[in-house]
Amino acid sequence: MDDLSTATSQAFVLLLTGNAELWEIIAISFSVSFRAILFSAPLAILIAFFLASFQFPMRRFLIALFNTAMSIPAVVVGLTLYLLLSRAGPLGDLKLLFTQEAMILGQMLLCFPLLVALSYAALQSLDRRAWETAITLGAHPIRAFFSVLKEAHFGLMAAVIAGFGRIIAEVGSSMMIGGNILHHTRNIPTAIALETSKGSFAQGIALGIVLLIMALALNLFLSYIQGRGELSL
Amino acid sequence: MINLSLDNISYTIKKKVILKQLDFDLSSDNFILMTGQNGSGKSTLLKILSGLLKPDSFYLSYAQDISVKKNWSVSKNYLRGTFCYLHQTPYLFSGTVFDNIAYGLKQHLFSKRRLKWCEINHKVNAALKMIDLQHLSDRPSHALSGGEKQRVAIARSWVIEPDFILLDEPFANMDKQSRLSTYETINQLKEDNIGIIITSHDPHNGELKFNRHFHLHQGNMIEKFIPE
Repeated sequence: MDDLSTATSQAFVLLLTGNAELWEIIAISFSVSFRAILFSAPLAILIAFFLASFQFPMRRFLIALFNTAMSIPAVVVGLTLYLLLSRAGPLGDLKLLFTQEAMILGQMLLCFPLLVALSYAALQSLDRRAWETAITLGAHPIRAFFSVLKEAHFGLMAAVIAGFGRIIAEVGSSMMIGGNILHHTRNIPTAIALETSKGSFAQGIALGIVLLIMALALNLFLSYIQGRGELSL
Repeated sequence: MINLSLDNISYTIKKKVILKQLDFDLSSDNFILMTGQNGSGKSTLLKILSGLLKPDSFYLSYAQDISVKKNWSVSKNYLRGTFCYLHQTPYLFSGTVFDNIAYGLKQHLFSKRRLKWCEINHKVNAALKMIDLQHLSDRPSHALSGGEKQRVAIARSWVIEPDFILLDEPFANMDKQSRLSTYETINQLKEDNIGIIITSHDPHNGELKFNRHFHLHQGNMIEKFIPE
């Protein structure tokens, strides 16, 4: 117990004194995950829109596929990408292994199915009248698409935040294809795993605190934009 | 005034024939009551007319050039620009009443038809005045009553100046006062020379001066005589 409280107080010291190494790890983690979500969200939402709005062959199969892929383990994504990107692999010439770009690719693959599935749920629950109303009021289909997204923005924001939560805390893929290289590819989860294996808990706890604060901040933000409930008991 | 001739409109869903090769003409001075039992295809026909639903077969020709029949893919955009469809329970976008009425006016941001902000403001205020809801301009759309939503939806269609407005059961679930206000708004549309088609089960007691009556039954449409 003493060890835990000592490590926790040391963690706060590290955080509050602006430990450069620690804050660099935090910066890498956020930079990689923000880029991953930024690159994958637009296409995921577009696919979700098509799945929710139109009938076409294989539609049900695709929905089942994305739902299944939501639970794919991060290490499986990491292993697959490792085999593809390693020097002997088919994409070895790209020399992406152990780079932030490879980590972004891995995180994109991890969050993409989740983004599609949750955005699909948000868009499917939206009234079909929204699309028809936009079209009948003269909106071009592209503008009607953005009007529909605006109507579903609470659900879509929740999907994006859930996707971000999935990748900011994943360790398997980042460790395998990022390599946990200090100053380059060491992010919060890989650093926690490393420090814990070394028995150096203070930095691990500090990084864990950052993850928890970030999760709380994102959820508070989501609650804020969703507004207050209007039902009374 | 616009005169249209519509031919061979058919629509089938899951092997059930909803509309059977309907032929009729429309003019923007028409004020049409469309009746029929539930499931007779009234809403389907209105959605086809407004370019929202693709029929199995469809031909459109303008009275000026009646010999040229245009198929669905050619006519769809024309229909969308000519007819404006209002759902039985209108969908209002999130935002204020003003935002909703201005929606259709903001759809040409990148074209020569783009309106200036003051023009949009002027048109929306005129629409609010028409439905007598100026005091609700800044109210969130979700805070309106059913009757107010219906009138806002009518005003939202009116500002984009369509040739026809298609109202699907506009008086369903309305109390008497809302119904009277909506009658007044619809009569106002007629004064502005907008063609109107209303599907309804209600007798209306003469508040609406229809000049044509279509009745749908088992996929066929007949035009009934309206006594003076």
